[in-house]
Amino acid sequence: MVVQTPNGFELDTSGRRIVVDPVTRIEGHMRCEVNVDDAGVIRNAVSTGTMWRGLEVILKGRDPRDAWAFTERICGVCTGTHALTSVRAVEDALGITIPDNANSIRNMMQLNLQIHDHIVHFYHLHALDWVNPINALRADPKATSELQQAVSPSHPMSSPGYFRDVQNRLKQFVESGQLGLFKNGYWDNPAYLLPPEADLMATTHYLEALDLQKEVVKVHTIFGGKNPHPNWLVGGVPCPINVDGVGAVGAINMERLNLVSSIIDRCIEFNRNVYLPDVKAIGGFYRNWLHGGGLSSQACLAYGDIPENANDFSPENLHMPRGAIIDGDLSTVHDVDLRDPEQIQEFVDHSWYTYGAPGRGLHPWDGVTEPQYELGPNAKGSRTNIEEIDEAAKYSWIKAPRWKGHAMEVGPLARYVVGYAKGHEDIKHQLDGFLRDMDLPLDAVFSTLGRTAARALESEYCGRLQKHFFDKLMTNIINGDSSTANIEKWDPSSWPDQTIGVGASEAPRGALGHWIRIKDGRIENYQCVVPTTWNGSPRDSAGNIGAFEAALMNTPMARPDEPVEILRTLHSFDPCLACSTH
Amino acid sequence: MSDADLDTALKGAHADPEDLASAARQTSVYVYEAPVRIWHWINAAAILVLCVTGYLIGAPPPSMQIAEATHQFVFGFIRFAHFAAGWILAIGFLGRIYWAIFGNHHARQLFILPLWKRDFWREIWFEVKWYLFLEKEPKKYVGHNPLAQLAMFGFITLGVSFMIVTGLALYSEGLGVDSTLYALFGWVFTLLGPNPHVVHTLHHLGMWWIVIFMIVHIYVAIREDIMSRQSIVSTMISGHRTFKDDRPD
Amino acid sequence: MSQIETFYDVMRRQGITRRSFMKYCALTAAALGLSPAFVPRIAHAMETKPRTPVIWVHGLECTCCSESFIRSAHPLAKDVVLSMISLDYDDTLMAAAGHAAEAAMRDTIERYKGNYILAVEGNPPLNEDGMFCISGGKPFVEKLRYAARDAKAIISWGACASYGCVQAAKPNPTRATPVHQVITDKPIIKVPGCPPIAEVMTGVITYMLTFDRLPTLDRQGRPAMFYSQRIHDKCYRRPHFDAGQFVEAWDDENARKGYCLYKMGCKGPTTYNACSTVRWNDGVSFPIQSGHGCIGCSEDGFWDQGSFYDRVTDLTQFGVEANADKVGLAAAGVVGAGVAAHAAISALKAAQKKTQSSKEEA
Ligand code: HEM
Ligand code: HEM
Ligand code: NFV
Ligand code: SF4
Ligand code: SF4
Ligand code: F3S
Ligand SMILES: [Mg+2]
Repeated sequence: MVVQTPNGFELDTSGRRIVVDPVTRIEGHMRCEVNVDDAGVIRNAVSTGTMWRGLEVILKGRDPRDAWAFTERICGVCTGTHALTSVRAVEDALGITIPDNANSIRNMMQLNLQIHDHIVHFYHLHALDWVNPINALRADPKATSELQQAVSPSHPMSSPGYFRDVQNRLKQFVESGQLGLFKNGYWDNPAYLLPPEADLMATTHYLEALDLQKEVVKVHTIFGGKNPHPNWLVGGVPCPINVDGVGAVGAINMERLNLVSSIIDRCIEFNRNVYLPDVKAIGGFYRNWLHGGGLSSQACLAYGDIPENANDFSPENLHMPRGAIIDGDLSTVHDVDLRDPEQIQEFVDHSWYTYGAPGRGLHPWDGVTEPQYELGPNAKGSRTNIEEIDEAAKYSWIKAPRWKGHAMEVGPLARYVVGYAKGHEDIKHQLDGFLRDMDLPLDAVFSTLGRTAARALESEYCGRLQKHFFDKLMTNIINGDSSTANIEKWDPSSWPDQTIGVGASEAPRGALGHWIRIKDGRIENYQCVVPTTWNGSPRDSAGNIGAFEAALMNTPMARPDEPVEILRTLHSFDPCLACSTH
Repeated sequence: MSDADLDTALKGAHADPEDLASAARQTSVYVYEAPVRIWHWINAAAILVLCVTGYLIGAPPPSMQIAEATHQFVFGFIRFAHFAAGWILAIGFLGRIYWAIFGNHHARQLFILPLWKRDFWREIWFEVKWYLFLEKEPKKYVGHNPLAQLAMFGFITLGVSFMIVTGLALYSEGLGVDSTLYALFGWVFTLLGPNPHVVHTLHHLGMWWIVIFMIVHIYVAIREDIMSRQSIVSTMISGHRTFKDDRPD
Repeated sequence: MSQIETFYDVMRRQGITRRSFMKYCALTAAALGLSPAFVPRIAHAMETKPRTPVIWVHGLECTCCSESFIRSAHPLAKDVVLSMISLDYDDTLMAAAGHAAEAAMRDTIERYKGNYILAVEGNPPLNEDGMFCISGGKPFVEKLRYAARDAKAIISWGACASYGCVQAAKPNPTRATPVHQVITDKPIIKVPGCPPIAEVMTGVITYMLTFDRLPTLDRQGRPAMFYSQRIHDKCYRRPHFDAGQFVEAWDDENARKGYCLYKMGCKGPTTYNACSTVRWNDGVSFPIQSGHGCIGCSEDGFWDQGSFYDRVTDLTQFGVEANADKVGLAAAGVVGAGVAAHAAISALKAAQKKTQSSKEEA
């Protein structure tokens, strides 16, 4: 049977059904089903979020000042981004402004998370879709060293001996017969295209990145006390600044600032010397694999983030762009209003929730989260043993958010598309340069590869921004401003009886919003619409498919039983299922 | 006194024939032996200290900057006073239990409620009515009146035991989970917690239970001293119960 | 088991010298707080023990226990994964997916029956027949039971596996249930925290591999070596606590001087964890050092102890919003008013009686 979706995809369920469950190397629990035709091309795609915890239900009745801690636990991978979004929502509701320093520190933390998340995603979750560590055993260390020096002349770890050591370690690991995480990988699948030297170089960087990422997060540790799950504060940040007074040793002082600064430098260095060159090098071998564009060429959404001046969330003041692109028209970037009841709405006709009546879309301020698990009549298996999902009915724990009725893609690529369309200088410069280096047309970014590249470019951009806010913080401190929190409205007795607020941010995986209703000092309703809620959404009432599903469409599979291509494209979104369903 | 009269008096007044005879003859009975009296006042003082310091532990006074932290021990002192009073309360309570066994039968009243006796409930009902101004004249009691006894049991026997047990459990955490005291009281966390914060909260709530007792107790002691037919406050000082009239009941 | 190499074998084959191996053992001893006398014992253990397979499953969680784990600085996460254990199944990190992943798990269980460690991150929900967390089309709780059946021991990572954590906070809509309430016939080591400290996680694993025994556990089943003292017992701000010097408001003078965070709701006095000593992320800081109170993340039900910023926390049990002091004060107030009223009426009655009797006399 062939169905035409309103957003332009032709779904054909007649071919063989392939099930991938669990989808691994993602955060959380996800299932994917596709139908492939005789040529092994995906003609129908179904993505299912398979966990739900009920944070929105749990938050009801709690102290709004605590909400950041609860929502932070939505996800430990994008740790902190929900917390930031939450304090913004509460501050918006209560009319709280934060000091400049708090803005700089929050920005640094958010940017730091972006960098960390992007690096870990690329090397530890995504790389094995492109890189074959077993093949690395056949590499010539000397040639690898040459390759390394060619792609990244300033990376100090590039000697033949270094690569030989890593190769030996890998060899002995593989020969031990205990393959650990590499066990049952698809290592002889023809979809892997790298020469052994590139495989060895990338595998080496898998280990380097593993060592590095634990350093990156220390910015969170300094300002927030720990990572994962640093601490935040409504009204500012919890860490006081004291550079020269009594007790400075226990506050943000010169030593702490130096540590932050050195980490920022290391991030910048790694992005420039390792991450970006790797993406270009690996991408170069896959430059013809331009599948997986999905919605990116037609519907992208970004809320924008990283305010230059504190408390100003107008698009001009944001370093990350805000806007929406629909119908593939890059010449018009639409305004996004998170308060407009007609713009962002969530649908649940294909989600395991109920609004009481079918076909309804609810703006998050009026959002309802009421679970209702049921399988459609055409599902195979049983209620507790799903063999095949029935996507014509409810089929996912993810709700379906829509912007003015459109299914949207969010994330680094969406941000870059919106930024590019808006003429954002940095973004344009970066993207044009990248395409030039790769000798690819602009259209090529609407792909799995483009998504992966945008993430790397963004990591580099975030590094520079992080430095900018560090300098800004220093200037402020030098000028004698060391305030980090505004406590005027800390006490609930200073709050109105009833109020509503919204907080937005650009999380590593895309546009994130929290909507809150406060009544008598307590949370009356709390709704999160999360990046992976957008990207991983099931179909909506009108039948539009979401970004994951769209991106899988029409992708040829080398061996349909080995889901390398499915993983590739899904991973390019960096799915986070704990986030998506919360 | 007729036998019937004596019988009722015996049932209600928590007095043995000797008490009664003595009450009729001398209008003065030796009720609270010295250990009980001493305990009472030490106990009262300890509880007063515990309530004040306990409250401050929960809600410390404004910060003070007298010296470098290591040389200033303001909050430490408040806590120390609490723990010292806590130990006095705990050990005193043990002493009181000892005396319940070896002292006179009035000393046992605090620990044993004759819940199975219908008269006990009948007398309670009478006392309630007295406090609701529904009875014109109160009864005479040598020991506690049954309502007082019930209150004492609920607020003190149970209440203070609870405070001591939870207090010692909290204290044992300070000594360390490898301490003997923790070995003895660690179960409190398993039973009530296991998050120790729950034990803090319950211990804190317990304070208010004791405070309520204090308010009622002191009021009633003074009121009864004025309005009842026997001595009250002085009894807890001298040990002797005197009666204001000679009617038996 | 014969095909499993010892830890030392692996290290040697990976080009690590005997000398650096011994140095590694010394560092391990130090990390575990053991005297140098233990070093030969550790070395011996590592020379003779096989690499233990680990199956790491995920339930309802946020995955930050995994994130924490990979932050370990000593030993490095890569060394744990490459040289100490054999991480044969972990849906978050493994290369294979779907059927191939499930096959990897089956294979490990069958090959190493009774000899693998099961690490659980997150917890199973029991409502909706367990379908609030689905893996392979089936309830996660089934996968958990299956993996537990032949495990040597279970490690419950984090507050989720140990206690239920945030998804089990009231009203716990999915009936998220800690592992030990579902698996009752296996030794379980709880390593709580939200998340636990990276080096505590790898420390627990290294201890088990080195000594070939389970760590001594506290009353709640947590390794005593890391969970036997409160944050408060080793907090560097403790002198300010004893002095009565507290942060009174965020970013006030006292905050800048590093006074005690007790009045800002710090739960250090009721939280058993290693943060104030081991600290976080290679010893860089810990919550209190960065100005925020401890929220008690390694304790059972820490989400439901009232606001993180209250010292005397709210009680939900009374329906109305109030803490112990408000409830107590209100009750005492009612009783006090009652007493006052009663005293007034008593005085009135007494006066009436007096006039009556004086009238009678007259
Ligand atoms: C009538 C008897 C008692 C009262 C009214 C009382 C009251 C209190 C109160 C209100 C607190 C503060 C709780 C909080 O908010 O965390 C407290 C704490 C405490 N009490 Fe008591 N208490 C009593 C008996 C005891 C006893 C017998 C001990 C045993 C030594 C004890 C030991 C403690 C300890 C160790 C703490 C915790 C101190 C800290 O965390 O710094 N208490 N008490
Ligand atoms: C924290 C304060 C106090 C506590 C916890 C307390 C506790 C007790 C207890 C437990 C008893 C029963 C004695 C027994 O049977 O062993 C008692 C009796 C008594 N208390 Fe207190 N007391 C307190 C303060 C006071 C004060 C301030 C007064 C005097 C105004 C007082 C007067 C009496 C009297 C007169 C009795 C004897 C009642 C009777 O005759 O039946 N108490 N008290
Ligand atoms: N989707 C998502 Fe997150 C991100 N980035 C949050 O907002 O990962 Ni867990
Ligand atoms: S215990 Fe905390 S940190 Fe670990 S998975 Fe659960 S929510 Fe995340
Ligand atoms: S900051 Fe917290 S843990 Fe440290 S001394 Fe104060 S109350 Fe204790
Ligand atoms: S909040 Fe958790 S991280 Fe440590 S200081 Fe407290 S136990
Ligand atoms: Mg939501």
